[in-house]
Amino acid sequence: MKNNQIFTITCIGLLFCAITGFAGADLTQSLAPITGKVFVSSTTYYPEVFFTGDKGTVTFDVMNSNTNTSVMLNHGAFSDPDIRLLSNTYDFSNPLGPLQTRPFTFSIVADAPAGDYYPTFSLSFFDSNLYHKTLVQVDNTPLELTLLDKPDTFAQGNKKTIYMQVSNPRKNDVRNVVLVVSGNGTGATPLRSFVGDLAAGASVPVNFTVTPDQPTTAILTVNYDNGDNTHSVTMEIPITFGVDKTQANPVMSNVQVTSVAGIYHVTGDVNNAGLQTAYTMMVTSLPPAVPQDPYKNYVVGALKSDDFGSFEVTFSVGNATAVPIQLSFKDADGNVYTSVQEVKVPTSGQNGSPANAGSTMLPVIIGIVIVILFVGGWILYMRRNKK
Amino acid sequence: MDNSFLKILINPNAFLQDRMKENVSLKIPALIVLVSAIISAAAAYLMVTPTVKMMSNILSGMDTIIVLAAVVVTIVVTFISWLVYAGIFYILSTMFKGKGTFNRTLEIVGYGFLPQVMGGIITVIVALEYIPNVIVQSIPAGTTDSQVILAATTNLMHDPAMMAFTQITTLISIVFLLWSANIWIFGLQHSRLLSVRDAALCVGVPVVLYILYTIYKLGAM
Repeated sequence: MKNNQIFTITCIGLLFCAITGFAGADLTQSLAPITGKVFVSSTTYYPEVFFTGDKGTVTFDVMNSNTNTSVMLNHGAFSDPDIRLLSNTYDFSNPLGPLQTRPFTFSIVADAPAGDYYPTFSLSFFDSNLYHKTLVQVDNTPLELTLLDKPDTFAQGNKKTIYMQVSNPRKNDVRNVVLVVSGNGTGATPLRSFVGDLAAGASVPVNFTVTPDQPTTAILTVNYDNGDNTHSVTMEIPITFGVDKTQANPVMSNVQVTSVAGIYHVTGDVNNAGLQTAYTMMVTSLPPAVPQDPYKNYVVGALKSDDFGSFEVTFSVGNATAVPIQLSFKDADGNVYTSVQEVKVPTSGQNGSPANAGSTMLPVIIGIVIVILFVGGWILYMRRNKK
Repeated sequence: MDNSFLKILINPNAFLQDRMKENVSLKIPALIVLVSAIISAAAAYLMVTPTVKMMSNILSGMDTIIVLAAVVVTIVVTFISWLVYAGIFYILSTMFKGKGTFNRTLEIVGYGFLPQVMGGIITVIVALEYIPNVIVQSIPAGTTDSQVILAATTNLMHDPAMMAFTQITTLISIVFLLWSANIWIFGLQHSRLLSVRDAALCVGVPVVLYILYTIYKLGAM
């Protein structure tokens, strides 16, 4: 009995000491005006706007605006039925000094469909709790990939430029935007175009060239990061072969062929009947012709639409009666186009026309007549002389 | 002298009959041949110009030499042709028992070159008119293929202006050669004491043959 009494008295004493000691250390916590000056100064979601399924973080900055009093913070928690918490709550107690700020960061995942959500951050004080609601948005709008311009048709081995634009219709910036071009035989350059950060509502042009080996489909993929979550958007562009309706179309006219010194001279005009400019227009002869100086090749130069230029090529040829004349030009991308037109050439024995043959016989006849007149005249003279 | 030259052209029979009464003198005939040669050389200069132009790339620096050679050769050939004509007539007339010296034959053949002077002047005028119109394309430098050079020459000869020039001058030369032959017949008749028929045969046969050959070449162009 005596021992029980001693134990009871000791426990009561210790409890008293504990109660009195604790109350002495946090004497100020019992004052409501003090905890009322502790508040969430800012809330930061990363990313600012989530896609459904995006992981991210939310940081609550808690500030003690008291100028000379510390507060004890307990049990910081994040809760929302749609925005799921991945990390733990803050279950320990920490003092927050006067005019100090302490961040409380939580890892979260937006499992919710698109919409606005108001998760709650709560913090316990000694004598009260702090509840803070903030807006977080879940938006599934992807980046826009826009085809600004592309050739009507493509040709094998010809380089053409495709003009694209990447736009960000979202409410937050996205990072690490990269345009990737793929597809069999597209010969795309560059295969990857790094755009970098793309601000909300901003657009950036991205161009690339294709040099297709075959009709194919270019697959364009824009990869980007929303926070630390990678997303992508894809577009397919058919690469079909055909004749460009607007391309330059050189046409030869006023072609004249003369043969001098065994060398054929072909002169004429080249008209650009297309809609695009033909750059570096060149004229040359192809086998069986053998190009000869002085005009083995003739560079007409750039021909705008409906413009024309004169040319002259010289070549020798065997017994051929027609010679292919090649017109070659480049488009703005440096692709070379060629067209061939056959030009008839007179053979070496055909220089004289039938009219010339007639004119050759006339002086012969005249010469013979003169001789006959002379001989006849003398015969007549001699007969008279005899008489 | 002017009257004498006119007489040679219009009435060669009378002129040459008078000449037989005088000693042989080759001065005037040689002068006539020389004038004829100079005029022919002028024509040759004009005619060789397109050829020189055509070959200027492969015979650069030799233009003057070619032109000079053409002029000199023409003068020499004219004098040689004087001797050749005289020689042929002299030999042929011998077959008809002709008499008289070769110098006398040479003299009358020389007088017979007077129409050639007129023909040469007309040829030069025609050349001045036609040769500048000949389109000449130079043979490319470094060409060694004889076929190309031959083709170039053929093409030059077939140039319309060149063909017209050749035809006209050939007919002119025929006319004036026959005029010369007319003089030579009378000259040979008196210098070699032949009948008109024999003299006409001695002169006419080679001249007509030569003219027929010229006409043949003209037709073969």
